Amino acid sequence: MTPQLSRLVRVAPALALVVIAAWSARRVVGAGAAVPDDAAWAEAAAEVRAAQRPGELIVFAPGWIEPVGRLHLGDRIPVDAAGRLDAARFPVIWELSVRGARAAETRGLVASHTATYRGVTVRRFDQVARTVVTDFAPLLGRAVVAGPKSGGPSLVLAEVGFEPHRCAQLTPAADQAVTLTFADVELGTELAIGVGLADVFTRRDVRDPGELAVAVDGFEVARLRVGVDDGWVRHVAVTRPGRGTVTFTARAVGLRATGRLICFAAEARQ
Amino acid sequence: MSARWLTRAIGAALMVLTIAVTLVAQRDVGLARDEIVYMGAGDGYATWWLDAIDGDGKGPAPTSHAGITGAWGGPGATDHNREHPPLMKTLFGLSHKLLHDELEVASHTTAYRAPTALLQAIMILVVFAWAVAAWGLAEGVLAALLTLCLPRALFHAGLACFDGPIASLWLATLYCYWRSLSRWGWAPIAGVVWGLALATKHNALLLPFAIAPHFAWVVTRQAYATTAAGRVRWLRALGRGLAARWYVPTALVVLGPLVLIAVWPWLWFDTVAHIRAWLTFHLRHVHYNFEYLGDNLNHPPFPWHVALVTTLVTVPAGTLAAAALGLGVHARAWWRGRATVTTDGGLLLVLSSGASMGPFFLGSTPIFGAEKHWESAIPALCIAAALGATWAARAAAAALVAWWPRARGRLGVAIATIVVGGALVASAAAETAHAHPYALTSYNAVAGGAPGGADLGMNRQFWGYAARGVLPFLGTQAPGPGQPARPVYTHDASPAWGAYRRDGLLAPGLPDAGHEDGGIARSQLAIVIHEKHFRRHDFMIWASYGTVQPVFVLRFDGVPIVSVYRRPAK
Repeated sequence: MTPQLSRLVRVAPALALVVIAAWSARRVVGAGAAVPDDAAWAEAAAEVRAAQRPGELIVFAPGWIEPVGRLHLGDRIPVDAAGRLDAARFPVIWELSVRGARAAETRGLVASHTATYRGVTVRRFDQVARTVVTDFAPLLGRAVVAGPKSGGPSLVLAEVGFEPHRCAQLTPAADQAVTLTFADVELGTELAIGVGLADVFTRRDVRDPGELAVAVDGFEVARLRVGVDDGWVRHVAVTRPGRGTVTFTARAVGLRATGRLICFAAEARQ
Repeated sequence: MSARWLTRAIGAALMVLTIAVTLVAQRDVGLARDEIVYMGAGDGYATWWLDAIDGDGKGPAPTSHAGITGAWGGPGATDHNREHPPLMKTLFGLSHKLLHDELEVASHTTAYRAPTALLQAIMILVVFAWAVAAWGLAEGVLAALLTLCLPRALFHAGLACFDGPIASLWLATLYCYWRSLSRWGWAPIAGVVWGLALATKHNALLLPFAIAPHFAWVVTRQAYATTAAGRVRWLRALGRGLAARWYVPTALVVLGPLVLIAVWPWLWFDTVAHIRAWLTFHLRHVHYNFEYLGDNLNHPPFPWHVALVTTLVTVPAGTLAAAALGLGVHARAWWRGRATVTTDGGLLLVLSSGASMGPFFLGSTPIFGAEKHWESAIPALCIAAALGATWAARAAAAALVAWWPRARGRLGVAIATIVVGGALVASAAAETAHAHPYALTSYNAVAGGAPGGADLGMNRQFWGYAARGVLPFLGTQAPGPGQPARPVYTHDASPAWGAYRRDGLLAPGLPDAGHEDGGIARSQLAIVIHEKHFRRHDFMIWASYGTVQPVFVLRFDGVPIVSVYRRPAK
């Protein structure tokens, strides 16, 4: 090693520390500049406001920026849309994102329009929307309910997997099942089902799973077991269009499954 | 001025600087949920001590069974906050009576928080004293300043809580113990300080896991050379070493528990049962929700790397880099036999870090407080950073002499140390200032700052303290004179609501609406403090208000920390 190189090697650690210190301060203090401000959001929101039609979904990414998105466009997001089973019934999805993030709802879709407003990217996604012929949760009053339970069923906007879901919520007794029978309902070509365990504190304290079995005219079309870390589990079953009887059987699995809040939604779609 | 007096003057200046910075900074920090509990308990404890000393004769005698139970305990596991030792709470209460009630020199909140600031200053002084004694003045100053410039630690140093103080007393215990190895007079001091640490927080129970192996290693190693060769020589050396320094463990084992009992009247009767209840509470502590790398963790097993990753993304990156260098240099020198790792305390600090962080590798220890739970380990990191920085500066100075001959000797080293150390301190100071007053939302450059931390799915905050940031906005929503009140759903800021009102931070006419669905139903305004598991409050509000649109979102570096909703007009 030459003396010159040797000296450089000996100076390098000090130089590296100074450079790291400078980079560190700059990166932390300047971090906020990498997040679009309200003016940028207002510009992006203006485009969406001008183009969005009723029945079109608005989503935000990453998840942590969502409160800012709702601040600017929350009046265009009905509570029911926020608590959707999934995004299949929306013909258009507007995604507003920052920092290169993408929303789960637009995965696999191709944007038909993209524009960026000082860091807020607006993308429009068109898809073939499913037509909902029967939305089961609001029809709870028509259901015949049987089985031991400590709560419900009731129509609620519940926290499931830290996301909002409008659902029928019920609490079967431990290791018991509760059935909800919807007779003579309109069915389409598919039955979309979403189910999960509501309430973060119950999930923490009661670790046993829940289960939802779905039968159409006596034939089981789905059996979904959901654990405390599974979030909102979706399933689509094929059905024959026409009128029929749909039975949902919710079970709190295990003798320790007390207070198990099972939350489900279902839509018969065409 | 002699070198000794210069050192003392610098130490004193660092203490004054720390108290000033901490007290000024905390004025902007909202009230943490637990602070309210500790303040209330502290008022009771302080009153009890004053009554016990004065003996005003009203009610049961303070030192009677009933008198002690009425102020310090009760049948419930959390009666009078008996699940936590009382030292800091007592100081909070006494400080409030002195600084606010008597002298009227501080606000309610500042008066309660002042003892924590004092303990922070003591920690900075201990870091300085230790590093100076073991390594040198430059190392001491740098280590102290880097410890002061930790965003999260400074945040905790401004709260009427226990996490800053236990870190201070943990380190102070180690320092006193370390000094006792060369001067016996420090041994009883170490025992007393450990007792104070025990009376601050149960973390202090882990200190023997650092001290015992270190003590065994030191006394064995020192006695080994003079122990006759033969079977079990190491064991015989250990026995001789223990016999020679019997006073060190004796002081700790005797004085520590005695001090704990002395300052905690609840232990003056049914001592074993009350200690068992205290420890059982923490061994069976409920797991609060905590977001880590995108997952909401509230049930073991937890990832083994929580302490490591959290430290890597919360300590300023410059400090981390210098610490890695310092550790490397120190380890290499030890390996080559030049370092006095046993006597300079380096080994002790490593063991201390292990004892402090170790439980969090088990996967079962509650993680909800993140870095505050192992804050005792971080000053060791700052000392290592100081060693790394000064080593790099000396190496650079030696090399620069060839290009700049006038920099030969102490001048060159001084300049290089100022440049390198100054850059590190300035960087850490800038990050700490920037993090204020939302330090629990801030993350370092490795994470990419606060937005990077949010991208990683790291915890946004806890304790609900950020609610203070929306009080000015809520003020704009307050009813005018003669108009009905507009109740606010405050969820986890609820315990602090009265204190905000008392301190004049909350406009009139904005009472707390109450808890959960009933509170939301009564409310006209609602706040949501953004943590992953608090999303349920958003959803409850949406269902009640019929809208998902907040009217205000408080952000730190663009990251939402508190939203405010207003019930739409019918």
